[in-house]
Amino acid sequence: MAILERSKWYDLARATNWTPRYVAESELFPETMSGSLGVERSKWEAYDEPYKTSYPEYVRIQREKDAAAYSVKAALERTKLLENAAPGWLSILKAHYGAIALGEYAAMSAEARMTRFGPAPGMRNMATFGMLDENRHAQLQLYFPHEHCKSDRQFDWAHKAYHSNEWAAIAARHTFDDLFLARDAISIAIMLTFAFETGFTNMQFLGLSADAAEVGDYTFSSLISSIQTDESRHAQIGGPALQVLLANGHKEEAQKRVYMGIARAWRIFGVLTGPAMDYYTPLSHRKQSFKEFMQEWIVGQFERSLIDLGLDLPWYWDKMIEEFDYQHHAYHLGVWFWRPTVWWNPAAGVSPDERDWLEEKYPGWNDTFGKCWDVITENVLKGNIDATKPETLPIVCNMSQLPICAVPGNGWNVRDYPLVHEGRTYHFNSEIDRWIFQQDPSRYRDHMTVVDRFLAGMIQPPDLSGALKYMNLAPGEMGDDADNYAWAEAWRNIAATRRAA
Amino acid sequence: MNQIEPLKPLKTWSHLATRRRKPSEYEIVSTNLHYSTDNPDAPFELDPNFPIARWFRQYRNASPLRHDDWNAFRDPDEVVYRTYNMQQDGQEAYVFGLLDQLSERGHDQMLDAGWARQLARLYAPARYPIHAIQMQSAYVSQMAPASTISNCATYQAADSLRWLTHTAYRTRELANSFPGLGFGENERTLWEDDIVWQGFRELVEKSLVAWDWAESFTCLNLIVKPAFEECVIRGLGDAARHNGDTLLGLLADAQLRDAERHRRWARSLVKMALEQPGNVDVLRGWIDKWMPLAIAAIEAYAAQLADAPDTAERAIATLTELHRGTGC
Repeated sequence: MAILERSKWYDLARATNWTPRYVAESELFPETMSGSLGVERSKWEAYDEPYKTSYPEYVRIQREKDAAAYSVKAALERTKLLENAAPGWLSILKAHYGAIALGEYAAMSAEARMTRFGPAPGMRNMATFGMLDENRHAQLQLYFPHEHCKSDRQFDWAHKAYHSNEWAAIAARHTFDDLFLARDAISIAIMLTFAFETGFTNMQFLGLSADAAEVGDYTFSSLISSIQTDESRHAQIGGPALQVLLANGHKEEAQKRVYMGIARAWRIFGVLTGPAMDYYTPLSHRKQSFKEFMQEWIVGQFERSLIDLGLDLPWYWDKMIEEFDYQHHAYHLGVWFWRPTVWWNPAAGVSPDERDWLEEKYPGWNDTFGKCWDVITENVLKGNIDATKPETLPIVCNMSQLPICAVPGNGWNVRDYPLVHEGRTYHFNSEIDRWIFQQDPSRYRDHMTVVDRFLAGMIQPPDLSGALKYMNLAPGEMGDDADNYAWAEAWRNIAATRRAA
Repeated sequence: MNQIEPLKPLKTWSHLATRRRKPSEYEIVSTNLHYSTDNPDAPFELDPNFPIARWFRQYRNASPLRHDDWNAFRDPDEVVYRTYNMQQDGQEAYVFGLLDQLSERGHDQMLDAGWARQLARLYAPARYPIHAIQMQSAYVSQMAPASTISNCATYQAADSLRWLTHTAYRTRELANSFPGLGFGENERTLWEDDIVWQGFRELVEKSLVAWDWAESFTCLNLIVKPAFEECVIRGLGDAARHNGDTLLGLLADAQLRDAERHRRWARSLVKMALEQPGNVDVLRGWIDKWMPLAIAAIEAYAAQLADAPDTAERAIATLTELHRGTGC
């Protein structure tokens, strides 16, 4: 063979650590940006990335992957999928692109932090491919929705959302800034790649890809499964970093980052992916409930990988699993109720058949969330739509930036978990959110939730119209019921049948 | 209450819609993607004063190099991810074709042992400064105030990994052909101690900790990279040709293609910065500050390139011309 195998020279390409002389080591790798927790640089030599690739292989494979993704898009451009798609599916696309595209771009900066400040050369090289991957994901997820701008103003939010003060955008920024954009290299390796990408993006991308194929949106399906193949490669940056920390007596600190990462990811997925899977996806195309997805992809996946690494399950594990039964239902109810404040049209997803499915998947749903939807349904049937719309703002969690909410109706368990820190009272959705704050209050101390801003007079006039202006949402962009309330008609028929009987 | 006219769909992103020209793919996927620049007082949707927030406020937002609209920057090559891979896959097919063919023909067996000894000292340790360039490009990428700048720096980081890969590959081949010369073994010691590298080592170590984003960019793209490229790629490539090392000469040409692209975006960015009064002094100040270290690095390295005697003079002239050509 005239060409050497990769294994013959790979180690040389990652033999690039040296001892600096003209600046101090601590200056070259400042703790603020590198976060190696005092583990000596020589110990990081043990870092061994499990997924190895090289530059020539990367550009070849990625070129092929792009050719495939773009050709599916080109081939299906004239199929008018969007004109024919279920309205709930369109809402999924809008919510997804708006919440994800610029977040992916922020992940490029996080990968760049590992490329510059990562203590191990193998990590720095893999993160260089990670930078390229995230650059790809941002570009694909801008290019694909862009063509829909001309037919639907809400698609503008694929680019606009992160630049706005819309509440879900604030929540996404707060989450992703805390998970990776504003973290040091080692924390990024753990929180972005290990905690977020191995479990949660897998679920978002594989789950949504399956749903997309089911509803016939092959463009989106091939797009996000192509993205996922990159994620599953660079998601492996974190594992060996955890191993080095564990081998050097930093189990507690390492674990803490995993726990914070999973907890933060769970909340944002609860509000974005939960409603998408259990309410927006047309009933006939649902494969699994959100809870079943969470059990399989998050609980199963993390239990295996945490145990493999010698880490303990998070202290809040049972509590989080308990939340799978209700938290996303509560978020969905809130998103639908405050629908003028989002850039997509939430699908209520509570027609008689859909409610049967919800009751089957979540026994007791009718007695709790169903009670709220009963009232909403009644108002819709009376034509009293105004009564189904908000006039005020909810109390928002100082960690997730999402409304503090839980089970309504007969299972009522809504409560605030407050904390007084340096004279200010913070409010949290659960003890998990409060625990994250307590790990490093300086990261969160002076941040204001959208409700704090409202109370501080930053939102004028202090009513819904002022809030919409502050969120940069105008008619034509503001959300409304995805099906134009058609789902309620089936209830009218049922009521009529019952009366007749 | 008056009925507000609903917003109508636009042909493109609202932030591009006021322009007359239909946006290109490059503009659609590359412009205004950093949201952390939106609020100058708080880069992140978190507390404005914790250490990383302070880092961005100080080294990005408070940079002495100022511009009202960094987002107006455009890469003159308009590279997007899709075209980057097409271009570089083609380039790598060429390079690996060369490596394949020349290895088949026994290229290394025909090299003189004296030249191989020079390669062990002057070529193989280059993976350290190349990697430093890769790291610093990633720093510029994460700190730049516009996504169109960050993208150029990201592709530049990847190109640096490309050069690092070529160097590692060739080091292994040379180790196979010339056992006993320390290929694959002595590079770190040479980089850390050999006089030939100490100028570059001092330059890259200090440059890596120039934290202001614009100083980091200036130092990397107008000083470190051109100095390194003119000596360790072009100068060494010339010496290689003189010694019958066709492969290294061709490899140098392939890498300089990337370097030329990097200089094009760097020139464009400097040109844009100079639209703002006062920036010329800032840039000039940085160039004056870093040039002496670059000259020392160039002279220390080029002194060993007996077969490319004009290297130092030409490298310094190239840097000076690059700076003058951009107007600073």
